[in-house]
Amino acid sequence: MDLVDLIVEKRFLGQEFLTWLWYKSEERGGTVFLPGTGDTQLVFEKHMLLEYGEGEAFEKIICQGLQAELNEARTGLRMGKKLEQARIHISQGEYEWHMTLKASMLEFRSVKPPKTMAGSEEGDTAEAVEGRLLDRIGMLETATRTIDELFRVFLEIRTSPAAWQEELARIRQWIHKPE
Amino acid sequence: MGLLSSSATFVRYAVEGELPPNFLDFAAERIAANAYRDIDDNYEERSVGWVSVLNMFDSSFEYASFAAGDHIVLTLRVDERTVSPKILKKFTMKEEARLLKERQIPKLSRTQKIEIKENVKLMLMKKAVPSPATYDLCWNLSEATLLFFSTSQKAQTELEDFFKKTFDLSLRLQIPYLTAEHLLKPEYHDALSRLTPDILI
Repeated sequence: MDLVDLIVEKRFLGQEFLTWLWYKSEERGGTVFLPGTGDTQLVFEKHMLLEYGEGEAFEKIICQGLQAELNEARTGLRMGKKLEQARIHISQGEYEWHMTLKASMLEFRSVKPPKTMAGSEEGDTAEAVEGRLLDRIGMLETATRTIDELFRVFLEIRTSPAAWQEELARIRQWIHKPE
Repeated sequence: MGLLSSSATFVRYAVEGELPPNFLDFAAERIAANAYRDIDDNYEERSVGWVSVLNMFDSSFEYASFAAGDHIVLTLRVDERTVSPKILKKFTMKEEARLLKERQIPKLSRTQKIEIKENVKLMLMKKAVPSPATYDLCWNLSEATLLFFSTSQKAQTELEDFFKKTFDLSLRLQIPYLTAEHLLKPEYHDALSRLTPDILI
């Protein structure tokens, strides 16, 4: 299958992952467990975009507000919409990242990595410049690795029919939970 | 929204193909051969090439190397002279009217009109200032992955073609399904390929 067909046919995979991630973060009050890393704080905040249908029947809703006010997005889920884009806040130890994930293409948008050292503290020597570059790259790669690890957890459940049926029952319960 | 901005937007690629031996020497030679060439002082329509992520005017990497640890960091710079269709139409009409009057003829042939439009476009193109666009990338050599700091499809196609031309290696955009293939053990791949959308309600 070529890339264009794969993008269309497997579009649901990223959207199901992001929807699952929202459920997972709320299941334990904003904390998810990552094998090898341990507990990671992960909170959905401010901005969400949900999609439903194809072609002329395509619908989308944009919801903005604080975490507690994402009721409209929950209503969207109950109507069968899937999460296409969401703003996420991740904390690991003393570091924090903010990022918007676009689910169908797994794009990382407006990623704000943790602030480490200020440029002026290190000077402008070649070593200092390389150090700053590596620091920035490390922070961005940690963000992508964290999302990959979460994606792996989802995929292992999603590709196992028994595990997915159990998870699906829990997700449905969460979606239909009264406010 | 690039590598060094306070807020970064990017997509991921897998780099496919074997790295040649003495890769950093090979990369240095290929990057130099495909470095950005300025077109401000000539009439070329377009120029594409590599510059430093720290300075879009540094195409010889004097200030900072393109190598950072196990990564290659580069900026793809694309400068282009463009003429807006509105301006082209205006000057073409003006030239057509001038020729009709000068030659005292009732109308111009289709071939003449095409020729006029081409000449006007060339004249306007020479006057246009090249507009620059820059896109950062960060290539992790040991993991054969690359972050590209643009979600524009046009920029992504430009990168894929120019990367192939420079390094003779292919890039494959990592959409969720392809990322999934990398993340899962081979025994899960069959189940992955058979997945269909599920209803979550």
